[in-house]
Amino acid sequence: MSNRDWVLAPLAPLNLRPADEVMRLERLGSLHACRLSFVRSLMRQMGRQRWQISRVRFDLDENGYGTAVYRLQTPYGRYHGVMFAQALDDERRSDRVIADAWDVTFGLVEGDVDDSLLEQMAANVPLQEAGRQHPRVLVLSRANKSLRNFAHFVEALGNGQQPDPQWLTRVGYLYRTTAVYGNGKFGLADFARLHENPDFRRPFSVQMAGVYLLRHFSIEQVEHLARSQSPETACGLAIELRRYLGIGNSTGLGMAPFLINHPQLIAQWVTQRETALALAQRQAPSEEERARLIALTKRAQQHLAETVTEDAEQRERNVATVAALPDVLSWLESVPLEENLWAQLVAWSERTLSLEAQELINTLLIELYPEQVDPLEEQMGVNENLDLEPDMPLMRLRQLIETHYGWALSHDYTSDEGAYWFWYRSAEKEEPRLGVRDEEPGAEKEVPIAMGPRVAHSHAAICEFLEDTPRAKVVDFLLAKPRHKEIIRRVQTLVKATYGDIHANLWHREMKPMHLLRTKLAFFGASRFDPKSDRWVRITLFQGAPLVEELNAEPEDLSHFDDWSFPLQPQLEKGCVAPAGLSPQGDQYPQGERSPLQQSSFQQQRTAKGGVSL
Amino acid sequence: MKVSFNELQGLCRKAFTGIGFEDGDAADAADMVAWMQCHGFNAIDQLNRGLDFLLEEDPESLPKVIYQDGDLAVLDGHGQSVLRSISLATELGFAKARARGLSVVKIRRCHNRQLIMGYLSRLAGRGINITAFWRNAQEPLTEQVVGFRAGRSTPEVRIYSVRDVPEENEPNDGITLVMANHVELLPSLGVDHDLDLLARHSESDLMACRERSLQEGIEVNDAIWARLKTLAHRILVESSEASRGGAGAGVNDND
Repeated sequence: MSNRDWVLAPLAPLNLRPADEVMRLERLGSLHACRLSFVRSLMRQMGRQRWQISRVRFDLDENGYGTAVYRLQTPYGRYHGVMFAQALDDERRSDRVIADAWDVTFGLVEGDVDDSLLEQMAANVPLQEAGRQHPRVLVLSRANKSLRNFAHFVEALGNGQQPDPQWLTRVGYLYRTTAVYGNGKFGLADFARLHENPDFRRPFSVQMAGVYLLRHFSIEQVEHLARSQSPETACGLAIELRRYLGIGNSTGLGMAPFLINHPQLIAQWVTQRETALALAQRQAPSEEERARLIALTKRAQQHLAETVTEDAEQRERNVATVAALPDVLSWLESVPLEENLWAQLVAWSERTLSLEAQELINTLLIELYPEQVDPLEEQMGVNENLDLEPDMPLMRLRQLIETHYGWALSHDYTSDEGAYWFWYRSAEKEEPRLGVRDEEPGAEKEVPIAMGPRVAHSHAAICEFLEDTPRAKVVDFLLAKPRHKEIIRRVQTLVKATYGDIHANLWHREMKPMHLLRTKLAFFGASRFDPKSDRWVRITLFQGAPLVEELNAEPEDLSHFDDWSFPLQPQLEKGCVAPAGLSPQGDQYPQGERSPLQQSSFQQQRTAKGGVSL
Repeated sequence: MKVSFNELQGLCRKAFTGIGFEDGDAADAADMVAWMQCHGFNAIDQLNRGLDFLLEEDPESLPKVIYQDGDLAVLDGHGQSVLRSISLATELGFAKARARGLSVVKIRRCHNRQLIMGYLSRLAGRGINITAFWRNAQEPLTEQVVGFRAGRSTPEVRIYSVRDVPEENEPNDGITLVMANHVELLPSLGVDHDLDLLARHSESDLMACRERSLQEGIEVNDAIWARLKTLAHRILVESSEASRGGAGAGVNDND
């Protein structure tokens, strides 16, 4: 690239992929967590701003039941995570939203927690949806134990031994949340209240902070139990295993309506990710960056190979991705280091790889350029308002629909296949569900989240209206046909934010709801995507993430602090836990890639303590 | 009980859908009620008083344009609540003002008129100056004037008592909207006006009220909340074995 090109590069328009490509449901359902995902952004922010987490209360009995409170101090504010752990009969333990009791319930509070607030929370937080929450509570959540992991961890630590890391490879957590509520639910603080809050103004960052505190509590609780049961022999959890411990989440169709009902927000998320990809592609790579991408690819390859899922389809996808990556590595190692190498790589992967492997390569490319990409995390929020343009000529609207919503007009919504599903809300805790039209009751109460048929219906009505009044404006049409108001203002808004609508017929028999779930979960930062059916899934958050004590150590080297994607299983050798190594087919990591977090001095110091008693 | 803004907006939207509002109208109506309530205008009480009427309204009886030219429009609201689809009358005024610089829209025969402020807030946010006024024909005769600056979502509001009641004082259940691209139309009271100021809500007062609502929650009556929940329940489908299938883990999930 010439000097002139370098100067002009920042001004050159980015060639983002077209919405018809990016917003295909199958592609969205192939996304991986990336460095713009919310857990990654939050950890960077916590490290960069030196957030401090301290335990201010830990009143747990010998069974681990009781109350724990953690203080989260940022440069701008103070928050408290309040945990309530209680006994739960096995038969009441359920991943379903309709459950009414949990192993642990918790809230994240803005400001201090005095006795009065703690009392109010103790009376309401364990009730979850059935309680009324204080307006200073920002996040409300609950979680159940992974009983097998919990029992194994307590037993092993009680015996002075480290638990087998394979337990965490199979199920990457001790606790699994089933809902993480924010934005005003059940009396919680509105998200609007956080718009001016520098700590949590990004979407879902406060929910992720709550989950991060639960991760820390799960470590402290399991160590407390081991000590309580075997005070003479108990040891603490090794650092590598602590890092390898995430928090699970079990989720279902509830994710789907959010994607449809917040199209401007989704457009914003996808736009930032696509912008990151375009920025990465225009970088001329160095040999170091090529080596870094090779190392990241090997790490991802092993992570996916280690990922356990009983779902046959997802297992096949993982296997196919793992199988494809040696070709990617060969390609990377053999091609000349040309300026447009990354664009070549993306084009090559589109021709030869599965969607999931393509998006993995895109994710890893984004990883290479933090200076270019990370500022985009500040653009993940948006003011949502679907506004009408009443003075737009109706003919112009028709043209816009035909230009941008060809996908919606191309489906047959009258066939049995094309109108197979209907979406509705169940009376059971208002869970979103799918029903088979003409077979199951409730179609008359359908929740209209399938935008394709609505756009097609409005388009047909517009065409008919234009036959008599070709010079009509949008408002003229709507005064005659007001029921089209919602879809028209959505279309008028989203032709300016083209990543807002998912290009799929959500009624179609072949539609996979799992793709919708994965879209949102990828932006959260989920790993170990483990579908349990075509409409509910378990994932893991924060697996591999830096620990509270590492955060409190005020990391100097944020690049290593941030490098925890695609975590690998640590090695248990002679009773001690060592960092993960690459499997034989993965060769060796280049220097600096052997294990995330392993390099910086504070981390080396803490790694050395792994396996010793607290 | 204390509720959040989002919670109030969400429940109202479901309740309006349960009543039978179209999706767009349900969303707009919920926005209007939540906006009014968090700015301190007791919209929930107004909604509660109007709910029986809303339940009886004919959803096919739409606002009708009686007269219009480039600058002016007169619509018949058919005695319905502004919550149902009167937003389109305001959009008509917006379109005319954008095209001509200034527009006047008169909406005759409509109820719950004060709630229209919530929708006007959105229009003003899109860059138009707005004044809306209406008279209440009870004793004493009062007049409410609401003015938004273009680009601002919070208005100045004045409520006056009209001393000299006109001899021909027919029941007045309409709204007059004046919109202008470049001219501010805020309410003011000159010394010569024969009016008594009953209430004044400044832009800053209303913004502070909104801020308090977000900080402390919004107080609503338990019985009204329960009634809205009952209406919202109409959109839910009772569970069946089929509906539970695939919706998550079984009852027991011990792993």
